[in-house]
Amino acid sequence: MSKGYRQAPSGSSDKKRKDGKRIAGKQDFGVPGSGGSNPYSELQDIERIPNSQGGQLEQPRGPHVHDPHITGQTIGKATPLVDSRWKVTGQAEYGDDIRLPNELVGRILRSPHHYARIVSIDTSAAEALPGVRAVSTGMDSVNRFGVLPVTKDEHAMAQDKVRHVGDLVACVAAESEEIAIEALSYIHVDYEVMESIHDMEDGLLDSENPIHDRGKYHIGESNVQKRVFQQFGHTDAMHDAPFQSKSDWTFAGLHHGFTEPHAVVAHWDPNGRLQLYTPQQVPHYVHRALSSVLDVPMHQINVIRTFVGGGFGGKSDPFPHEMCAAILAKKSGRPVRINFDREEVYWINRGRHPSRIQMEVYADEKGRIAGIETDALIDGGAFASFGHVTTYYNGVLHTSPYEIGGFHYTGARVWTNKPASGAMRGHGAVNSRCAVEVAIDDVCEQMGVDPMTFRLANLLPPHCRTITGFRITSTGMRECLDEVRKQSGWDDKFRKMPLGRGIGVGCGFFISGSGLPIHWDPENFPHATVHLQCDMDGGVTVHTGAADIGQGSDTAVAQAVSEVLALPLDMIRIRSRESDTAPVDLGSYSSRVTFMNCNAAIRAAIELREKVLNAAWEIIGYHPDSLVLGDRRIYYKRDPAIGVSWLQAVHKAQADTGSLIASGAYRTPPMGGVHKGAAAGLAPAYSFSAYVAEVEVDPETGFVRVIKAWAAHDCGKALNPLAVEGQIIGSCHMGMGQVLSEEMRYGRTGHLLNPDLLDYKIMSVHEMPEVVPIIVESNDPEGPFGAKEAGEGPLLPILPAVVNAIYDAIGVRVNELPVSPDRLYSTIEKQCRKMGIKDPLDLPNPSFEPSALQADLENRAKEHAHRDLQRDLLKDRSSYVNGVLFGFDPDRPLPEQSEGWRESVTPTPEDLADPKKRAARAWSHVERRKRRDDA
Amino acid sequence: MKTPPFRLHRPTTIDEAVNLAADLVKRKQGFDWVSGGTDLLANYKWHINTQPHVISLASIEELTRHGAHHIGAMVRLHELEHGPTHPLLRKAAGTIASTLIRRSATVGGNLCLDTRCFWFNQTEDWRRSIDWCHKCDCDTGADCRVIPNQNTLCVATYQGDLAPCLMVLDATIHLAGPEGVRSMSIADFYALDGMTRNVLKTGEFVTHVSTPEESNDLDGDYQKLSLRESWDFPEAGVAAAWKRTDTGLSTLRIATTACESIPRIHLESAEAALVDWNGESTTIEVAEAIRREVKPVNNTYFPPAYRRKMLRVLTKRALKGTWM
Repeated sequence: MSKGYRQAPSGSSDKKRKDGKRIAGKQDFGVPGSGGSNPYSELQDIERIPNSQGGQLEQPRGPHVHDPHITGQTIGKATPLVDSRWKVTGQAEYGDDIRLPNELVGRILRSPHHYARIVSIDTSAAEALPGVRAVSTGMDSVNRFGVLPVTKDEHAMAQDKVRHVGDLVACVAAESEEIAIEALSYIHVDYEVMESIHDMEDGLLDSENPIHDRGKYHIGESNVQKRVFQQFGHTDAMHDAPFQSKSDWTFAGLHHGFTEPHAVVAHWDPNGRLQLYTPQQVPHYVHRALSSVLDVPMHQINVIRTFVGGGFGGKSDPFPHEMCAAILAKKSGRPVRINFDREEVYWINRGRHPSRIQMEVYADEKGRIAGIETDALIDGGAFASFGHVTTYYNGVLHTSPYEIGGFHYTGARVWTNKPASGAMRGHGAVNSRCAVEVAIDDVCEQMGVDPMTFRLANLLPPHCRTITGFRITSTGMRECLDEVRKQSGWDDKFRKMPLGRGIGVGCGFFISGSGLPIHWDPENFPHATVHLQCDMDGGVTVHTGAADIGQGSDTAVAQAVSEVLALPLDMIRIRSRESDTAPVDLGSYSSRVTFMNCNAAIRAAIELREKVLNAAWEIIGYHPDSLVLGDRRIYYKRDPAIGVSWLQAVHKAQADTGSLIASGAYRTPPMGGVHKGAAAGLAPAYSFSAYVAEVEVDPETGFVRVIKAWAAHDCGKALNPLAVEGQIIGSCHMGMGQVLSEEMRYGRTGHLLNPDLLDYKIMSVHEMPEVVPIIVESNDPEGPFGAKEAGEGPLLPILPAVVNAIYDAIGVRVNELPVSPDRLYSTIEKQCRKMGIKDPLDLPNPSFEPSALQADLENRAKEHAHRDLQRDLLKDRSSYVNGVLFGFDPDRPLPEQSEGWRESVTPTPEDLADPKKRAARAWSHVERRKRRDDA
Repeated sequence: MKTPPFRLHRPTTIDEAVNLAADLVKRKQGFDWVSGGTDLLANYKWHINTQPHVISLASIEELTRHGAHHIGAMVRLHELEHGPTHPLLRKAAGTIASTLIRRSATVGGNLCLDTRCFWFNQTEDWRRSIDWCHKCDCDTGADCRVIPNQNTLCVATYQGDLAPCLMVLDATIHLAGPEGVRSMSIADFYALDGMTRNVLKTGEFVTHVSTPEESNDLDGDYQKLSLRESWDFPEAGVAAAWKRTDTGLSTLRIATTACESIPRIHLESAEAALVDWNGESTTIEVAEAIRREVKPVNNTYFPPAYRRKMLRVLTKRALKGTWM
């Protein structure tokens, strides 16, 4: 067939009048062809239809539940983002592009003190300044808010005290930015400075003035905001293991470094409704927070998400400046715009927590991981933000991808007088992951085993449960490792390169969507909802609340709809910007959007498709089961000549109802354990990744240059390989920044020394190595078309890969990030002194002598590869829980099978006895409500 | 982030510029010179020592003259990188900041670069939160934040790359001002204090630098320490120039930058090294001597101890050409 089927039937042209007038009752509705310039529709491309549906697309991991909905339209094709033309032509309106008529400019007065009580504020002089239209202080807004309902500890502006330099004190709206800035200097604030806390370990102690007061829930009189204890498995026996790696890590705090500073415009429209324009990752939480802070019902607020110039977790909290803009707009009766300067971005922060992590990894004589013991103290800064969750994630997200004999975790998050830490790409998992993976390398070194082999011989299989009860469905971990090993030439390079050149491996594991919505029970309300609307033009409008923050969620949702309905992407319109028109969505965080929204979109599209197919049935007389959706055409499976155009079928379907609508929703299946904190880290699917990095280290200066990185990520199914590769490379860039140069650096007075992009060292193009993105597709049974996340997980492995490569290069282990040249150099100096070497160029080059265990592990890895394939293809459906490798029966409760096996989230005094453990000290305090003396 | 308003003057000749300056001095009006603006305007945005008048040198054609031994103050770093001057200058110019900045930044601006410090190169709100500092005290008489309780000297760091290179080439700097023109060795141009930085009097500015004909016979190298290849100011820099003879070296000059408030030429150490020149082993000795002479403080990105140690490595590397 040469050109496919013409979209436009020729119609009865002889009856058509040539003079432009219509014949009564014989109106020709014109050409029903639509969608793009190609007037011919294509048949389904058989090469893109899966085996299971009779097509030619290979399915090495078996069929998927969404196979019948594959039409070959867009899934799996490299697809430029649907909003990319807006961006590259400069027409996309970001937060600070929004200009409403008659606007005022708002500025914020910030605290110059780390910690101080506000004695008084006098705004009268500022109010009297010509051009000032409104001034507001904490008095105008006393309601609390916060991203997590359990830890609402923020206000629009300081109430009684300021908690860090840069904390909001007052705000001004004026006719111009100059006037607003001037007005700030007329606001007189009397402070009573209090003793501030900057070191996170001080946060563990009792304080006269804890940074927050949580009433009866306060933990002692300390600044501990959250503490977590988890103990699973043989946590006593692991200490007897022959191979042990113990390290004490320091991780600097990080900022997301997004391009676009925060910006907001608030306007109370003539109907008295608040219109708030903001570049937000989670418009819905802002919506909720605005409602409670302003005491205005939610239906009186419309949150409009602008284009977002980068989020990475840094724009997912509801922010005080958003409240300020709304308050100023209310007071002045005019739209108010607040645009941040760069240092304000650092003051609102929400970046990665500075942390100190004690990591112990134990391995037994059979080359199994006998246990992991982690103590993580994290510095939350002045507010809670997502910290409750972060405290869990620092522990629970390293219970996979390996099978482990025991897991002992103590974690604590403390308040300090710094800008608040929060969620950042790879939330909570990044630092402890780095520590675990480096410890595994260390253990392998002790054992005389190739770290690649060791990992391959200790992986959890597909369809299993982790030690704390996470349900793993698909995993492509093994394939990721195999690929990077092969492509990097690992076997020829590991411990074989000259001094100064090294190669290292690291793995990653991350959630694909948080299983528990923050604000409601998933049993009662779905995670994501998508509405479709198809009107006479045949195009489909998608209403979703998923926030496109540059990651391409609009594109992914459009692709899902386009695929099921076999329509070209330009016939799909996404409306995801306004809370007035978008169904409630939890927003773009925890790598949930592709998984949850695309699943909802597929369901909605299937519903729409059924309506259109039924209409086609009426026209051509074939049952929908025997109809196929080609490109804008529905035809009989056995004879493509019998068919009807998409638009004709749509019009038929619309005959009774008018515009077609359909709706789909997604909720997670019931899963996970029942212990306290079981929901933290629980996800409907998990992504896996393995990276190899090759580095060059200058032993004389401590400079590290990453030469090349091979980055394999299991995203289930690459809906859009172009976007996945972009995410992998972008993650590598961000992760390399953390491992080599980025840090929020605080000086001896506690001030943040580098709130700017010159001294906050994000890697430039010169430092960026070639990254080889390798996509691994494990075909997740519940993911949309098999897909899982690809936005955060790919960041994790690059850190340990680089650190392990540094060891391979010069034989020096580092345990402080970033590995800036000065830090590495001082570690090199120490090593030289220890070894009695004068010139660092004489450092011994690490070598590798395989022990007898190497062959055993290679065999085990081979057996496990076979095991995993059988489970993947569902040929082996036996249950598998973490522990089977250690001889447990997966079908009986593990504690019943072995005396030492513990599953506890309540520490005993013995569990916390080690005085060197930091976070464990958080339990030296008793919660106020549990102190008898309170009564 | 708003630059405070200032009046921009755009003279087209050196005389006009000098007269303008003299007039402003007479009227007791504060002013700054601006050439490329990549240093000054960034500081203005942060409200650091801003002035009501700014005199731009960009329209004075004479200042753009660029020959093998004559470099006008308005020659852009990009032009210097690709120009006819000594290869050492071209190399150093190519390492400064980023491609974009080099298109704008000038030789004069680089030589007169304001000194930098963690406690100074910050926004106004930030500096208010530390109660200001000696270099920009906003009339508070604030103390130095790097070395407290001294309040006399500013220890901000000079982080220019060209000065040490010109020093080792024995260049001369030429100034013009209300009191006429004057010239001096570039080493004499800098005067130890992070605030005054150099000998320029109010109303005086750099017109050009010249290098001697003899510099043609010199080989040289410049080594710098910066975390990233782009954007970052040097954290330490070593320039060296030498003349090789059949038996060894007849000339050796070494200068360092980015470690103190002014760049510094190490005449004695270099001369001492020449006395008993023994190739590689002497370079190691002289490198150690340089390390001892320079005393950085804790006010830039890398800690001072590390910068000092790296001076040793940089010197060794800069001198590699003397024996290899």
